[in-house]
Amino acid sequence: MIKTWLKGTSLLYKKEIKDSFLSPFVYILSGLFIALGGWVFFSLLVSAKNATEATLTASVLIPSFSLYRFILMIICPLLTMRLLSEEKKNHTIELLYLSDLNNSQIIFSKFLSSLTIVVFMLGLTTLFPAILGFSGYSDWGVVLSGYGGLVLLCMAYISIGLFASSLSSNYVICLVLAIFMMLGLWFLVLSAGNTDNYLVGLILRYFSETYHFESFARGTVRSFNFVYFFSFVTFFMFLTGKSLNSRRW
Amino acid sequence: MDGGHALDKAIELINVSKLYPGVSALTDVTFSVKKGSVHGFLGPNGAGKSTTMNIITGLIPPTGGTVKVFGEDVQANPESARRKIGFLPEHAPLYENMKVSEYLKFVQSINSLRSTVNSDDYLETLELCGLTEVSHRLIKNLSKGFRQRVAIAQALIGRPEIVILDEPTVGLDPKAIVEIRELIYSLREKHTILLSTHILHEVNLICDHITIINKGIITSTGPIHEIQGGEEGTQIILAEVLNWKDELRPVLFRDLPLEDLLVEKSGSDTRLTFKLKGKDDYRGWISDILVKNQCSLLQLSKQTVDVENLFKSATAEKPTKGRVQ
Repeated sequence: MIKTWLKGTSLLYKKEIKDSFLSPFVYILSGLFIALGGWVFFSLLVSAKNATEATLTASVLIPSFSLYRFILMIICPLLTMRLLSEEKKNHTIELLYLSDLNNSQIIFSKFLSSLTIVVFMLGLTTLFPAILGFSGYSDWGVVLSGYGGLVLLCMAYISIGLFASSLSSNYVICLVLAIFMMLGLWFLVLSAGNTDNYLVGLILRYFSETYHFESFARGTVRSFNFVYFFSFVTFFMFLTGKSLNSRRW
Repeated sequence: MDGGHALDKAIELINVSKLYPGVSALTDVTFSVKKGSVHGFLGPNGAGKSTTMNIITGLIPPTGGTVKVFGEDVQANPESARRKIGFLPEHAPLYENMKVSEYLKFVQSINSLRSTVNSDDYLETLELCGLTEVSHRLIKNLSKGFRQRVAIAQALIGRPEIVILDEPTVGLDPKAIVEIRELIYSLREKHTILLSTHILHEVNLICDHITIINKGIITSTGPIHEIQGGEEGTQIILAEVLNWKDELRPVLFRDLPLEDLLVEKSGSDTRLTFKLKGKDDYRGWISDILVKNQCSLLQLSKQTVDVENLFKSATAEKPTKGRVQ
């Protein structure tokens, strides 16, 4: 049973990956991402007053992770907007529905393929901390934790994008929906700061991915941060499954 | 029900209905597709053909009623039914960036996760559908005719017993239509085919059974020759004579089971349209009477009700259940 599930998922995953890496879109996005990421890193590095290990972490690495986050808020929906909407637009979703694949395999393979592309893009940016490493920087715990946080954050953004992509066959609508959902989550943190009620503020903050990501960026990871991201992804995958089922009815 | 009789029906729909908010797409749709037949499914746009086909394949569930595939309830056992059906939806489900052979191999792979399919099945399908020469080309670079062949080929992967084709020739040029028609015709030996089309001439050529649907209601279903003959066995015989005599009219009404006789003057000739009851061939009788009365018979032929007229009459009026009169 699990073997069959994995086989089906890997079949669709391979197809998705092949499609993505054969298209110039991924390379254009990767180029833009590394160019923006490089510019962010360079600017922060230049503005850092004293190049000690502590200042490099506090004034270069942590802010650069936070700025990557904003770039990924645009990159992830751009990557996911076509995942299911294109299948609907081209009616190939019917081919998948009539095959031995089930919804979970379709959703998971699409999710993994997008995650692979994002990890590939993030992999390109590891060049920047590596440059610091050549200059004697050695606080690799923060670097690892920051990249781990970015991967988890991308998982959350991809799950939102995948859900948005299941709602319409129009790419632009899917893109706008996904960005608005992400912005909504980001605004939770702003709302949390504005409320006088401590408990409400705490709850709002917990539901915002920014709060959990910052723990990773600072290298102060707690187990509930993992719980948050995994439950977030599961929730949106569940919604995507429901959305796919509702279209069949 | 007799098990053997049930298995004789490849597809059976019993009182199938489909309701969308505010719209009834199908109302008590009941018809069956005989095993080994080529069954034409006709109806104007929006009549419910695609909805019916989607319900048979299990893509969408019916609001009410039962769909059986070889006696097995599709709702109760969708996977088993799906395995017996190959489906070409109205919009060909093609991954345009894939090569033809790659696409068919992919379709074979995702359809054989829970069953064993011959690993060379896609190669055989390529050959069967005449796609070998374009197997290494990208689907997006193919002509419409070839793309439709690829779409039909995906429906044949796994050699399903039933092949459902939703308007397979729509949007094709005349040459491609003939090619696709020949391909469908070649499939009839090994598959039961349910085919929806707008080209009524096509139905005449390849179908042995038809079902006509209008506004979600079945207006006519059965073997094509029976439907063409009409329920009452009405037949039309056309004659052309040089010397028509009006005094012959009562003689013809007396000697033949005539329902109506239409006399039209066309230049020096007269065209006679005999509408007769019954299934016997009355051409000999008519010929005898006309020759005996020195009408100078020029031509005599039996006209069958062609599918086009049948379709027009079935879809023009407000639909009622049962067969078209």
